Amino acid sequence: MLILGIESSTPQVGCAIGGHEGVLASAHSSRGKRHAENLTPQIEFVCEQARVELQEISVVAVDIGPGLYTGLRVGITSAISIAFGLNVPMIGVTSLDLVAYPVRHCHKLIVAAIDARRDEIFHANYRQVPGGIQRISEPLVTSPEDLSAELLASNDEVQLVGDGAIRYADYFKDLKRVDLAEPGLAFPSASSLVQLAHAKALREDFIKPSELKPLYLRKPDALEIDKQKRRVDR
Amino acid sequence: MTRGLVLAIETSCDETAAAVVAEGKHVLSSVVSSQVDIHARYGGVVPEVASRAHVDLITPVIAQTLIEAGIEHHDLDLVAATRGPGLIGSLLVGVSAAKSLALVWDKPFIGVNHLEGHLYSSFLEEPDLELPMIILLVSGGHTMLVSMDEHLTYRVLGQTLDDAAGEAYDKVARYLGLGYPGGPIIDKLATSGQAKISFPRPMIGEGYDFSFSGLKTAVINYVRKNPDELDENIAASFQEAVVDVLVTKTIRAAKDQNAVGVCIGGGVAANSRLREAILDACPKEGLKPFIPSRSYCTDNAAMIGAAAWRRFQHDGPSNLATGADPNLRIPE
Ligand SMILES: [Zn+2]
Repeated sequence: MLILGIESSTPQVGCAIGGHEGVLASAHSSRGKRHAENLTPQIEFVCEQARVELQEISVVAVDIGPGLYTGLRVGITSAISIAFGLNVPMIGVTSLDLVAYPVRHCHKLIVAAIDARRDEIFHANYRQVPGGIQRISEPLVTSPEDLSAELLASNDEVQLVGDGAIRYADYFKDLKRVDLAEPGLAFPSASSLVQLAHAKALREDFIKPSELKPLYLRKPDALEIDKQKRRVDR
Repeated sequence: MTRGLVLAIETSCDETAAAVVAEGKHVLSSVVSSQVDIHARYGGVVPEVASRAHVDLITPVIAQTLIEAGIEHHDLDLVAATRGPGLIGSLLVGVSAAKSLALVWDKPFIGVNHLEGHLYSSFLEEPDLELPMIILLVSGGHTMLVSMDEHLTYRVLGQTLDDAAGEAYDKVARYLGLGYPGGPIIDKLATSGQAKISFPRPMIGEGYDFSFSGLKTAVINYVRKNPDELDENIAASFQEAVVDVLVTKTIRAAKDQNAVGVCIGGGVAANSRLREAILDACPKEGLKPFIPSRSYCTDNAAMIGAAAWRRFQHDGPSNLATGADPNLRIPE
């Protein structure tokens, strides 16, 4: 089984190829706003590095968000198209699961936090369970103040991870019992995606390309609708 | 076996479209999934809403166009997508889908200029149109007069200085409380009205540029002062003013540039009064008019397939590092 994983929910875009033998090759870039330009050549590159033909891929895994909408859609559209083009099943994993995964060996309450822009954060909580971690809350969007108040109110030792934690570090850095993970773990990684997807693939936890839906967590933007109306009314 | 099969994808605004076109002229299938009902709620296209709908619709639309064309992906020679101009979030969906499919199917990819697509829509039905010709490109986003001197060689003679013609239709329709999109609504209403109000014809005698903002203001002021005037008459009079300006300038450009004929394209080219007026005016001036079917005037992927094949013959494929360009211009 060969899995192609694509993630694009933050300023970073990346992809990886792997399977039973682990991750065979991966690529990431984070110049921002160049997801569409970078992703297709990256996919070509990781195939070459892994010495596999793209046509050998048997599963396409994708980061379904939450995250920055435009970049997210580039990754999801590419993943859906590849799965459709190869006629293979898909696995969707949330960006927050991907951010939490690298700190899975920590015994604290893990809080994954991704920058949602406009002074908001996407976040979810995780606990250690035998063999890994488990998400114990639904992904939500909230203000950094609210998240910081929630962490303050809980009695847990907290490991906070993700670019949302770093962007709004001022709200969290003075909280007792809250540890900020290093910036190197700020973005979801395509390698984590392939590893998580491999476990799901063994359980045949697949969906069809037509069933895969991005996790936006916000309605199409009231702000943008107002802006659009003003433009038309000018 | 048919050669030169292009799968073309168009997602620059609020239509998710895909088509299979042979050699840039024979349309095997053309599927357009319109989001107009979704956007009607907001009285206009909301970019984020459009982008979300494109993601949901893109693969079903592509699957359907392949089925309708009766081909398999092995049969394709090229995968194309509109790369601009348009809404960035929407464009990226089509470009990402096309590049991914080109990669997994091992086919060349080409990024297409949406405006060049409109310029080539006429060739889908009339592959042997004679050049040079003048093309009036009118839509919700664009109003321009283009001289196509040879294939892939254009000169933009003039464009709008403010509102696009389609935008003026939308704004007037909204002011009259008629709904969205304004073009088809006003067109229909105008058929039962009289064009008896003489609205201004902005810049009708000057150059090739257009301005519709003042006309829109004149209509709104008139309605304020004459609240009892029938919507039908306002619609007919407004439409007559728009069409008069468009046709007068198009014919003048065609004569000045010694063009053989005149074509129209873009959503407003589906307007029945404009089509009639062009067909009427051209023969009087010794010009050959060509009016594409309505489905090739409004946004569609068949026209992208036509332009893609021409471009591909000339320039070869695009790089897979191609992105979208929301401000792409007509290549001159
Ligand atoms: Zn158009």
